[in-house]
Amino acid sequence: MAVKESTKLKRLIKAIWIFNWFNSCGFIELVPVVASRWDMERFGMIIVGSPRHADVLFIAGYQTLKSIKRARRVYEQMAAPRVVIALGACTMTGGMYWDSYNTVKKLSDYIPVNMYIPGCPPRPEAVFEACAKIFQHVEEMD
Amino acid sequence: MGAKEDLEILDRITSEFNLECKVQRKGRIWLDTPTEGFVDFCKWLKEQGFTHLSAISAIDWPDEGTYQLAYHLWSYQDRILITLKVKIDRQNAVMDSVTEVWDGSAEAHEREIHELFGVKFEGNNNLTPLFLEDWEGLPPFRKDFDWREYVRGKYYDRQNERERVYYD
Repeated sequence: MAVKESTKLKRLIKAIWIFNWFNSCGFIELVPVVASRWDMERFGMIIVGSPRHADVLFIAGYQTLKSIKRARRVYEQMAAPRVVIALGACTMTGGMYWDSYNTVKKLSDYIPVNMYIPGCPPRPEAVFEACAKIFQHVEEMD
Repeated sequence: MGAKEDLEILDRITSEFNLECKVQRKGRIWLDTPTEGFVDFCKWLKEQGFTHLSAISAIDWPDEGTYQLAYHLWSYQDRILITLKVKIDRQNAVMDSVTEVWDGSAEAHEREIHELFGVKFEGNNNLTPLFLEDWEGLPPFRKDFDWREYVRGKYYDRQNERERVYYD
């Protein structure tokens, strides 16, 4: 019997495995999320070493035209269902690099993004709120 | 062997080579060097203790039609920083590579200048781009490269309401 997509997701959400792809300062704000002050493991979220194991891809900060190719390869290796969360103003508009010749301006032109978290860089609270919204969305699924 | 003074180094350079140089301040020497015999001069300096090539920088002088390359050399033994300044033609930007003198560190610096200014270093056999993959157009650090115009053409659409602001 085929398992429904929503059932699969609900099982999955017990333990969210995350792969981080960080170019810039977004990493600085994600470190406290991982560490004991905010401690994302309380919610079953854990960083994995390989994109093949990951359910969620965190992309933080601007991507250069060189790194976006690598980011896409990371994304393609992830097994479905997969979620991409983009952190920071840079991923939305280019941020302070809006007139740089070598950075990606809008991430969703290159990779399907499920959620943007604004901020320069975003606070850990904002990251948790985004994750909570995804949890909530999955739980409300039929 | 004690550390040598600036003037002592300077005297040694001027007695061996006919160059214009000055002590800019204590521990800093500026040298205007010609392109001919540049690599040999570098080899000689390395033998004098300037074993560390800390950076190569390029300055673009479009009005003059030249690039100025500045090689910063450090001597651990004498604690002196020498800056070699070389001017090369901007249209036909070719320079002898110093990879045979300073090896890997020179390779990386020359690679970067090749990518960002378009200077060709003869003798450096790894000039593949460092950051700019699939780059088309002028080397971006040249002063006549209008990066804002380039960004508009490449990333923004005037008809798009959200992006029109970049054209105003």
